[in-house]
This record gives sequence, structure tokens and C-alpha cells, in this order.
Amino acid sequence: MSDELRLAWAIARKDALCELRGRQAAGSTLFFAALVLLLFGFALGPDTRRLAEAAPGLLWLAVVFGGLLTVARLHQLEAEDGALDELARYPVERRTIYLGKALAGGMAVIVLGAVLLPVVGVLYGIDLAPAALPLALTVLLGGIGFAAVGTFYAAVTVRMRAREVMLPLLMLPVIAPLLLGAVEATAAALSGDPFGELGAWLQLLAGFDVVMLLAGAAGYGYLLEE
Amino acid sequence: MENAGFVIAAYGVILGGTALYAAVLLRRLSAACKALLHTRRGAEGTARRDEDT
Amino acid sequence: MKTRILGLAAVVALAAASVNALFMVPADLNQGDAQRIMYVHVPSAWLGYLSFGVTALGGLAYLWKHDLRLDALAHAAAEIGVMFTAFAIWGGMMWGQPVWGVMWQWEDPRLTTTALLLALYVGYLLFRRLTDDPRRRASRAAVVGLVAAVDIPIVHFSVEWWRGLHQGPTIGSPERVLDPAAPMQFVIALLTMLAAFTLAWAWLMVRRYQLARIELETEERARLGRISAARRAAPATPAPRAEEGVG
Repeated sequence: MSDELRLAWAIARKDALCELRGRQAAGSTLFFAALVLLLFGFALGPDTRRLAEAAPGLLWLAVVFGGLLTVARLHQLEAEDGALDELARYPVERRTIYLGKALAGGMAVIVLGAVLLPVVGVLYGIDLAPAALPLALTVLLGGIGFAAVGTFYAAVTVRMRAREVMLPLLMLPVIAPLLLGAVEATAAALSGDPFGELGAWLQLLAGFDVVMLLAGAAGYGYLLEE
Repeated sequence: MENAGFVIAAYGVILGGTALYAAVLLRRLSAACKALLHTRRGAEGTARRDEDT
Repeated sequence: MKTRILGLAAVVALAAASVNALFMVPADLNQGDAQRIMYVHVPSAWLGYLSFGVTALGGLAYLWKHDLRLDALAHAAAEIGVMFTAFAIWGGMMWGQPVWGVMWQWEDPRLTTTALLLALYVGYLLFRRLTDDPRRRASRAAVVGLVAAVDIPIVHFSVEWWRGLHQGPTIGSPERVLDPAAPMQFVIALLTMLAAFTLAWAWLMVRRYQLARIELETEERARLGRISAARRAAPATPAPRAEEGVG
């Protein structure tokens, strides 16, 4: 059991290192997501009050857009070099590969969320400090959930025609509950949780994460074999 | 009937759409049947030719 | 032959149930005649979800048995299901405008879940269309369908939670016709429509599955035809070592 976890971690580390060394692709994605937040400002501003109200939704939309690029990239590089087939031939449980990749994806999306939070704070005039802990939890749970689903669908679409549109098309309906939960939790955290609903939303996120990690791990094997 | 327009729109599209789909389905079915028979005969012809050579 | 009887029964049942729903059942006290739309909206939604169940289970069965006929069943159910789901949303919108004053309500968990179901269906069908190898397509589509099926209850649950927390003004829910206190005539009208629609669904499924089987065979023959044509086209290459040996 711990062997599997160590293997998964090894795969995750490998992916993370590829990300860090990979010709600034990861950095470009971060910048793109920040750009999206900026553009939202043009689309919905200049009334800061309206932007502040919409901020939780806008933040998570930016995370989704950036996240889509990230999970696609984590599978694309290997597919192009044929490394994905190599990986599939190793005597490793498919679910271990999935967990490793989902872990890497999760870390990348969490970093994305963490970087975008201060951007939101500045651009939409929101004080994040009092809500720091619940916000961190939301980003953590949201990032894991997105990566759990994204890793699965990235493998589904990796060699397809029209894969750039198929990944979001397949993924976005499935992450609707995640988006809902993350946005509501963020909004509750930022407003000081007047109705005491933060815990409930975080529970929804956690439940979603567990279900999707299990489903993804179960199904991933069928995606690698021919 | 009040709001008759909405009721007609609902029933019309739903029942009419089902009927339309059914009609198209029957047409697709007959076309596919013909195509398959054609392919089967073609395969038999090729098999006979292969036997001759 | 049996299928033809089924089809005929469906047509008769639909006609009778529709006449009943449109002209014989009295109008609702609050919603007026618009409530009659529920008699086509609810069965459509029911068939949309039923079809998705067949798609998901057919996929699961395929992963277990690797019989492409199960995949054909899943495909047939998906095509029929996407149609009924679209009908359900249309019916919901036609009902919403007179009753709610708007065609769309974010807080209605049924409507939003059904819209997401439509999106999941479309994704599934597009995915199938863009994958060529039959076995690969079957196993991948099965997994895609199953993950989508797992997602649907989560979606419904979260939207219900969403509504509960925002305390929106729900002026009457579309499912009031399913209210246990509803008058007997309403219940009978709905049940007869449900039965009629299900008969129609069964007929459509049989025919669509037949079509899927034929397409499967045609596809397989075409593939084999290309392989044998390629073999015939390639000339026999003599082994050079053998030639030299003889010479």
C-alpha cells in the first residue's frame, strides 16, 4: 500500500519537475489566468462594488480556465513523446498513475488559486486577510477536485481530434457542483460567514473530491489500455 | 384555453419532435439495411474472385 | 412484427393520453391551463433520465463482457435520451414563462440538473463521434458515461442546497402535479401519459438499437474490406537470399 503511495508521489514529482522546467508553460498559464481576471474587470467594472460581489465567481472561473490548460498540458507532453504508452507498459496499477498525475495537477491548480487570490484582492478591492484560513481550505479542496476530474478527462481526450474543445466540453458539466461549492464557500468566507454555511460548502467540496478521486482511479485504467 | 400558445408549443414540439425522429429513424434503418446487404453481396463476390485466383 | 404492434400501441396510447390531458382533465386552480404542460414535461424528463441509466449500465456491462452489442445499446439510449432531455427543458421553459414569468429559474434543481444532463449527453455523443476504433470507443465511452452518471446526483444535491440557502421565491414547483394531495384526475392523466411515453420509448429503443447493430456490422465489414484490399494490392516480394541461393 505504501509502495503505491510512494510510486504515486514519484509520478507526481516527475510531473511537477516537468512543469517547473517546461519552457515557462506553467508561468504563461498563471499569467493567462491573471489576464482573465483583468478582463473581467473591463467587462463588469468600473463599479468596484459589483466586482467585489462577483469576485468569488470570477476567481473560480479564472481558476477553471487556467486549470483546463494545466491538466491538458500534463498529459500532452507525454503523449507527444510516446511516454504515456511507456508509462502504461510499466507493471504499475493504473490507479497509481492516476493518483500521481492528479496529485501533480492538484498542486498546480492550488498554486494557481493561491496566486490569483491576491490578484483578486487588489483588482476588485477586497480585504482577504480576515478570511485567510477558510480561503486556503477552499482553494485546497477546490484544486484537488478540479485535478481529480481534469486528470481523468485529460487522459480521455489526449489523442482525440478536436481535443482542445473536447476537454472543456466533457469536463465543465461534471465540475458544476465543484464550482458551485467553491464559489459559495469563498463568498461565505469573504463575507464573514453570516449564515454559518461555510462548513456545509466545504463538506460538499470534500465529498465531491472523494467521489471523483475514486471514480477517476477506477476508470483511468480503461483509458490507457487499447 | 388560456396560455394556449405555450401549451401548443410544448405539446407540438415534444410530440411532433418524437414523431419526426421516429420517421427519420425508420428511413435511416432502411438505408442502413440496404447498404449492409450491398456490402454483404460485395464481400461474397470478392470471396469468389479470391477462390478463382 | 412484435415491434410494429408496440409502435401502434404507443401511437394510440399517446393520442388518447394527450386528448385526455389537453381537453378532458380540468385546469389547475393556481397554474391554469399551463399546468397541462406538465403532462408532457414530466414524462420527457423521466425518459431522459431512464435513457441515461441505460447508457451508463450498458457501458458498465460492456466493460465487464466486452460485447460490442452492449455498446450499441448504450449508444442508442444516448441518442434517444438527449432528445427527451431537450424536450424536458423545452417543456420546462414553456411552463415557466406563464407560471413563473420567466423561462428559466436558477434555483429549480430539476431544471438545472436536467440542463447539465443535456450537456453531459452532448459531450458523450460528440466523444463517440470523434473516436474511430470501435473497441476503444466503446470502452472509453463507457467510462465517460459512468463518470457522468456519478456526477448527476451530486449536481442535483448541490443545487438543492444552493436553493435552500438563498431562500428564493419559488412560486409553485413544476412537480406539484406529483403532489400526493393532487386530485385523482391529475394523477391518472400523468400516469397514462407516462405509460404512453414509455411505450414510445421502448419502440424507439428497439429501432435505434437495430440501426446501431447494422451500423456496427457495416463498419466491421468495411474495416475488413480495407484490410483484405490492402493485402491483395501489395505484390509478393521474393526473399533475396533464396534467389541468390538458387542462382
